[in-house]
Amino acid sequence: MDNWVITMMLGASIFLGAIALFAFLWAIKNGQFDDEEKFLNAAKYDGVDELNDAVKQEQKREKLKKDYRPE
Amino acid sequence: MSNSVVCNHCHLEFDKSVMIVEENIKFSTEAPEQSKGKLYFCCNGCQGVYHLLSDEGLDSFYDKAKGVTLAPPTKQYEDSANFNSPAFYERFVKINKDGFHEVSLIIEGIHCSACVWLNEKALHKMDGVIEANINFTNNKARIIWSDEVLKLSAIIDMIRAIGYNAYPYDASMQEAHANKERKEYYLRMAVAIFASMNIMWIAVAQYAGYFSGITQEVKTILNIAEGILATPVLFYSGWVFFRGAYYGVKNRVVNMDLPVATGASLTYIYSIYITVSQSGEAYFDSVSMIITFVLIGKFLEILSKKNAADTLDIVGKHIPNVVNILKGPSIVSCKIADVVVGDIVVVASGEKLLFDGEIIKGEGSFDESNLTGESEPIYKKTGDSVVSGTTSIDADVQYRTTKDFEHSTLSNLVQLLESAINKKPRIEKIANRLSEYFSAVILGFSVITFFAWWLWPHSFEISFMVAISVIVIACPCALALATPVATLVGLSLGAKRGVLFKEAAQLETMAKADMLILDKTGTLTVGKPEVVKEHINSVFDVNALYSLVKSSKHPVAKGILTYLEQKHEHFENLLFDEYKQLSSLGISALYENFEILGGNYKLMQNNGITSDVSSDNTLFYVAVNKKVVAVYELQDKIKENAKEIINSFKKKNIDVVMLTGDNESTAQKVAIAIGLEHFYSHQTPQEKADYVSKMHEEGKTVVMVGDGVNDILALARADIGIVMGSGSDIAVEVSDIVLLNDSLKSLEDAFKISRTTYFLIKQNLGISLLYNAITIPLAMAGYVIPLVAAISMSVSSLLVVGNSMRIRYKWNKN
Repeated sequence: MDNWVITMMLGASIFLGAIALFAFLWAIKNGQFDDEEKFLNAAKYDGVDELNDAVKQEQKREKLKKDYRPE
Repeated sequence: MSNSVVCNHCHLEFDKSVMIVEENIKFSTEAPEQSKGKLYFCCNGCQGVYHLLSDEGLDSFYDKAKGVTLAPPTKQYEDSANFNSPAFYERFVKINKDGFHEVSLIIEGIHCSACVWLNEKALHKMDGVIEANINFTNNKARIIWSDEVLKLSAIIDMIRAIGYNAYPYDASMQEAHANKERKEYYLRMAVAIFASMNIMWIAVAQYAGYFSGITQEVKTILNIAEGILATPVLFYSGWVFFRGAYYGVKNRVVNMDLPVATGASLTYIYSIYITVSQSGEAYFDSVSMIITFVLIGKFLEILSKKNAADTLDIVGKHIPNVVNILKGPSIVSCKIADVVVGDIVVVASGEKLLFDGEIIKGEGSFDESNLTGESEPIYKKTGDSVVSGTTSIDADVQYRTTKDFEHSTLSNLVQLLESAINKKPRIEKIANRLSEYFSAVILGFSVITFFAWWLWPHSFEISFMVAISVIVIACPCALALATPVATLVGLSLGAKRGVLFKEAAQLETMAKADMLILDKTGTLTVGKPEVVKEHINSVFDVNALYSLVKSSKHPVAKGILTYLEQKHEHFENLLFDEYKQLSSLGISALYENFEILGGNYKLMQNNGITSDVSSDNTLFYVAVNKKVVAVYELQDKIKENAKEIINSFKKKNIDVVMLTGDNESTAQKVAIAIGLEHFYSHQTPQEKADYVSKMHEEGKTVVMVGDGVNDILALARADIGIVMGSGSDIAVEVSDIVLLNDSLKSLEDAFKISRTTYFLIKQNLGISLLYNAITIPLAMAGYVIPLVAAISMSVSSLLVVGNSMRIRYKWNKN
C-alpha cells in the first residue's frame, strides 16, 4: 500500500470527524442542549406552525429594530 | 349513574350541578360527539382562560395537554403595575445589545410540556415581545421585549390571564457564571474526547507496527496525524491547566495544574522532535490521554458545585413584594420595605405573615411549622404576638408590627441561611491532595532522572527520553480515575435506591460521619395525622362528613378525608345550605334539616354536647343535631422500621440525637417508641443550628436529617444535610442528600453506600500508588519500552475501574 493512501484516508476521516465535532460544538454554544426536556419535545411538537412562528418572530425583531432604533 | 363532568379548561371533575354551563358557539358538525354543543367550567377563572385561548387561536393547547389536570386560575394577585416601577426595572431588567429589554422570570404552574408551549405561544403573539424562552426543567423563562411597544406588566398580565403566575428572579452573575463555566467544560471535553478516541485508533496501528515491523515513513505519517489531533487537546482542552498553572506560579503555589501542564507540554515538544527527526517513539497519545482524563475529573468537580444562587431564588419566592396595610379607614397595598414599626397589617386566611407583631383584631389558627416544626396549628387571639414566617390557616386578622421587615425573624432567617451556605465546613478531598503531591513528586523525579542520566554520561537525547518516560508511565490516569469512577458507581447505586447525592464529595464526608441528628415531624414520624381508631355511636351519612371535611385545609380534616377515601369508594358531594369554618374549633354546616358539626371537644362543649370518649390522641367529634354520632382518633404515626434502623446506627457507633420544636411530652413519646436516649424539645431553628455548631466544636462530623423550613439552618450548617423528598423547597435546596421515598431505610442505605464507596476509593488509590511505586523506578532506570508503558497504563486504569464495579457486588452480598 502506498503511503499516500494512508495519508489520504487519515486526512479524510479526521476532516469528516472534525466537521461533526464542530457541528456539535456549535449546537452546545447555541444552547440547543440546555433544556433536555424541551429538546426532546421539539421532535414531538415542532411542525409547520412552529416554523412559521419562528419566522414571524424574526421578522418582528427586525421590524422593531427598524421602527424604533434607526441605525 | 355518575353525574359529574370534566371542566373544559382544568380537566378537574365536578358535579354537573355546580358547573357553569354554556352553549358551544364553535359547535362543529365535524366532532359533534366530542363537544355535544355544551361547555362546562368549574369557575369563572377557567371559563375566562378557555375563551382567551380560543380567541387567540391557541386552543390546540388542550390537544397537547390531554389527560393533564391543571390548577384553576382562581388566585388573586398583587397589582401587576408594581412590575413597571423604576426600582423593579433597575433590579431585574437588563437592556441587551440590540436595545431590547430582557427579564428572567420563574413561571409558576407549569405541569407539562404543553404548558411551556402555551406560554411561549401566548407571549409570542403579543406585539413587542421579541423572544420568550421557557426552560421546562427549571421553569425559568427569559423574555426579551421592546419596552416602547409594551410594558412588563402587560406581559405578566398575559401570563396570569392564561392561568399561570410569574415572579422575577435575579439571574445573577453567580448563576450565569456557573452555567458558563459548565458549558465551557462541555466544549473542552467534547474536543478532548473526540481527539483521544481517534488517537487511540492510530496508536493501535503504531503499537502493532512496533511488533510486526513498520517503515519509518508510515510511522511518521501516523505521528503527524496523532500530532494534529493532540494539538487542540493540549492547547484548547488543556488551556484550563495552563491558566491554573500560571496563576499558581504567580501566587507561588505548586498546584495540580502545574505538573499536568508541564508534563503534557514537555511530552508534546519531545514528540514533535521525534516526528521531525524521524527516530524513536512519539507519545502524542499520552499527551491527549493525560489531558482528557484529568479534565474529566475536574469537570466532575465543577458539575457538583452547589448553586447557591438557585437556593436564594427559591427563598425569595416565599416572600411577597407587597402587603396590605390599614391606612385610616381604607386598606392599601404597600411595599414591604416601606412598612414601618407600628403600621397595621391586614392578613387574610392562607397568607404568610412577613412581620413580627401583635394581633389587634381578629383570631384564628396559625401554622408555625415553618419556625417550630410543631405540626398542630396554634390558636391566637387579640393581644397575642405573631412571628413572621408563620402562615394564617383560617385567621383573618389585623396586627400591629413591632419590627420592620429588615429586622424581622423571617429576614433574619434568610440572612442566616445565606451565611450558612457559604460557611459550610468541607473535609478536604484526599485524592486531590494526593494527586497534588504526586504530581510535584513525579516532576521532581523526572528532573532528577534527566540530570542523573546526563551526568552519567549519556547523550542529551537519551537522557531527555528517559526523563519523559518517567512522566509518561506515571500517567495520572489511574489516580485521576480512582475517585470519580468509584464515586459514580456509588452515586448511581444511591439513585436506584432513592438516595440522591447532590455532590460527589459528600460520599466521603458521609462515610466519616459519627453523629446523626434527626428532626421529629416528617422525619421520624409521617408528619400527617392519621386516623388510628373510629368510634361509631349511631348510623350517619358518610357523604355529609366527606363534604364537611373536604373543603378544610386543616391537617386533621385532611387526615379524616384520607381515611374516608380509603374506606369508601364513592362519595356524593352534598351542597350545604350553610357552611362555616370555625377558627380552632372545627366546621359547622346546615343540610336540609340537619345541623352537622365536626371538630374538637371545645366545639362540642360550646354547643352543649357531651361525649365520654377520651384519649391521648387528637380527637375529632362528629355531631348531627346535637348528638355525637362518631369520634375519630388521630395520631402522627412513627415511620416503619424506625426502631430497628436507629439501633443499626447505634451499632455503627453513630451518636443519634432527636431535635424537635414540639413539646416535651410528644417528643418523649416518640423517643421512647424508637428507643432513643438523647432528645431535645422546644427547639427553635436557631437553637437547632447552634446545636450542630456545638457538635462541630466537639470535633464531630454531623449528619442532620430534616424536612421543613424550620430545619434549614441546621441542614445548611451540618456537614451533611439530608432532606426528605417531600420536604419544603428550601430545605431540599440547602441539603446535600435527598431521600426520595421519605423512608428511614433510605437513610440507612445512604450511610451504607457512602461507607462502601469510601472504602473502595481508598483501595483504588492504593492500587494506583502501588502501580506507580513499581513502574516509576523501572522508568528511571531506563527499562521502560513503549510496549510496557502502553500496557501498564491501560491495565492500571482497568484495575481501578474493575475494582469500583465491586461496589455493586459488595452491596448485593450485604
